Amino acid sequence: MDSQLLNPTSLKSRFTARFLRALTKINAPNPISSSSPTPREIFQRYRRIKVAADKSMAYSVRSRTTWSRATLSRLRTRSRHRRLASFGPRSSVTTAAVLKKTSSHGKENEGGLGVQAGELRELVPGGEAMDLCNLLDETAHYIKCLTTQVQVMKTIANLYSLE
Amino acid sequence: MDVGEKDKYELEKRNDNGINYQGSGMSSAWQFGGGSLTSTPVSLVPSDNPLVIGSASGSASIVDSFCPNLWEHPANSQNLGFCDINVQNGVSSSNAIGIAKGSPASMRSSIDRPFDMGWNATSSMLPAGILPQNLSQLPADSAFIERAAKFSSYNGGSFSDMVNPFGIPESMAVYNRGVSLMQGPQDVFAISGMKSVSGVEYHKTKLIATEASGDACLQAENRATQESSLKNDRRSESLVRSNEEANQRNGGSCNESNEAESSGGVGGQDESSAMDGTGGEPSAKGVSSKKRKRSIQGAGSQSPVEAAEDGAENQQNGDRNQSTTMNKTTTKHGKQGSQASDPPKEEYIHVRARRGQATNSHSLAERVRREKISERMKFLQDLVPGCSKVTGKAVMLDEIINYVQSLQRQVEFLSMKLATVNPRLDCNIEGLLAKDIIQSRAGPSTLGFSPDLSVGYSPLHLSQPGLVHGGLPVMGNNADFMRRTLGPHLTPVTGGFKEPNQLSNAWEDELHNVVQMNYGTAAPSDSQEALNHQAIRK
Repeated sequence: MDSQLLNPTSLKSRFTARFLRALTKINAPNPISSSSPTPREIFQRYRRIKVAADKSMAYSVRSRTTWSRATLSRLRTRSRHRRLASFGPRSSVTTAAVLKKTSSHGKENEGGLGVQAGELRELVPGGEAMDLCNLLDETAHYIKCLTTQVQVMKTIANLYSLE
Repeated sequence: MDVGEKDKYELEKRNDNGINYQGSGMSSAWQFGGGSLTSTPVSLVPSDNPLVIGSASGSASIVDSFCPNLWEHPANSQNLGFCDINVQNGVSSSNAIGIAKGSPASMRSSIDRPFDMGWNATSSMLPAGILPQNLSQLPADSAFIERAAKFSSYNGGSFSDMVNPFGIPESMAVYNRGVSLMQGPQDVFAISGMKSVSGVEYHKTKLIATEASGDACLQAENRATQESSLKNDRRSESLVRSNEEANQRNGGSCNESNEAESSGGVGGQDESSAMDGTGGEPSAKGVSSKKRKRSIQGAGSQSPVEAAEDGAENQQNGDRNQSTTMNKTTTKHGKQGSQASDPPKEEYIHVRARRGQATNSHSLAERVRREKISERMKFLQDLVPGCSKVTGKAVMLDEIINYVQSLQRQVEFLSMKLATVNPRLDCNIEGLLAKDIIQSRAGPSTLGFSPDLSVGYSPLHLSQPGLVHGGLPVMGNNADFMRRTLGPHLTPVTGGFKEPNQLSNAWEDELHNVVQMNYGTAAPSDSQEALNHQAIRK
């Protein structure tokens, strides 16, 4: 197992590098938590870490898949939301409208799988605007990336808990 | 011709670069018609439908990233690779480059011949017999269709002047007819051009033949380019399938026309109006060309296929429903755009109606879609653990949905865990992981990380005394907190999916080894304190 070299350009290594960088950024403001962190702090950090994980995965995939693009745009609009609270989700509304316009055409060929396809669309980011064929492709790639994410995060969590 | 060769290399270069400016490159290279080419804007290439393009390219890249052999069509993966080259409008080009490099050699050899023929044909009308020999060596290549389409789009107006449609021997007359009809529906042209070439196996070669003759399914290919991003992967898949079928039945010519049609007639959004105007004319010519095609190809083994084709064609002539499949919107446009010329089987050009199956264009499209969906379901079945026994799409989809949900919950749980466990020796961990990840291949990156390691150790040295005391209560809190908040999540997380656990265990072992090594190599004071730290922990 020592001889098992990680491919530096693989999805896993790309994601790990990005995610670790994000983690250091998140942990940097709290150098020593001598006092037990309040649940609120933990919750805030949890959200930030979750966003960082999704973001690093989406960035590792770049724009090759629809779900990664949808995730990135979603994250960007969310950050914009937070910054310009008053100005509201203009971009998200427009993107949602566009998606709804284009989505109606491709869904006609699902056969008897409409319910499950709808659920899958909700799960996979950006799945609303795709027909079943593309949706299955996206799901496959999404599953692959999710498993990678889970592996990496498990390892990191174990390492942290060891030290 | 020197010019031709230079242009060929230009094209190949552009292929390798994965840049989607083939239109501009092609236009400069294609110097038949004269000046109108270079000035043609690249905007003809569709770049405004990011969702569709993305999905198409995405699917292709998915195949590439997962396992090229997974779809069990090696040629298919090659096609997809080439599709990627054309499809990457605004998508990162690295993927295309990787794919393009995968098979540039075969492409070059295949590209050379058709372009040679193309240039020769324009200068002197080559008899059709020469073409098939060279064309048969060309691999099916959807990218080529798009390139041809781009060529044709740039030459829209000029070719009609060049070619005299009706004063030529029969073989060329078919070509020329296509040319004259160019301004109308390009399907006819593609088909008629194709028909003169017999016995060619690959649909793309047929397109090349038309190009070579100079009639250029130009507008048809223009539509193809517009649809290229949409259709590439689908077309290539069905192309491969249809090729296989065609090979079995020697149905080269039929495929040609199919392919020509698919390339030409599918998109047709912009040209629908033009098509409608000239619809009457091409229909008559299409029918006659259809018959001519039959006579050229002869009967023999193709009789059953032709019978099916006839039925399909007749229906399609009535239906005008060539494009179908990809999107229903495009189908509607295709209906308007596709003229009377024989759209042989279905939208995808090469999908052939199997014996005993309905040849209605609708049902054919449906069948193609169903096959694709079942392919993907099989792939997903391999991906999702524990789904080998499941049969049926609905149950399979339920399993997939459950799996995706569980993975997402796992990610949430792990991020929560990281949030609680985190506040400790971060730098050290990052250094370890970085060293592990960027191990041997990238030399400079390891150098970049080594300063981090040294930096990481000094804060460790300083902060350890405080952390030692603070760590334990944090650990306790973490455990309680985790149990409280993540209780409902724990069972599904641990419950079941063994594969990722096994893989992550392998990686964890490796990292643990690295951790131990690093503890060994640290400075003596650091190592002592690290050991103390470890002892307290355990």
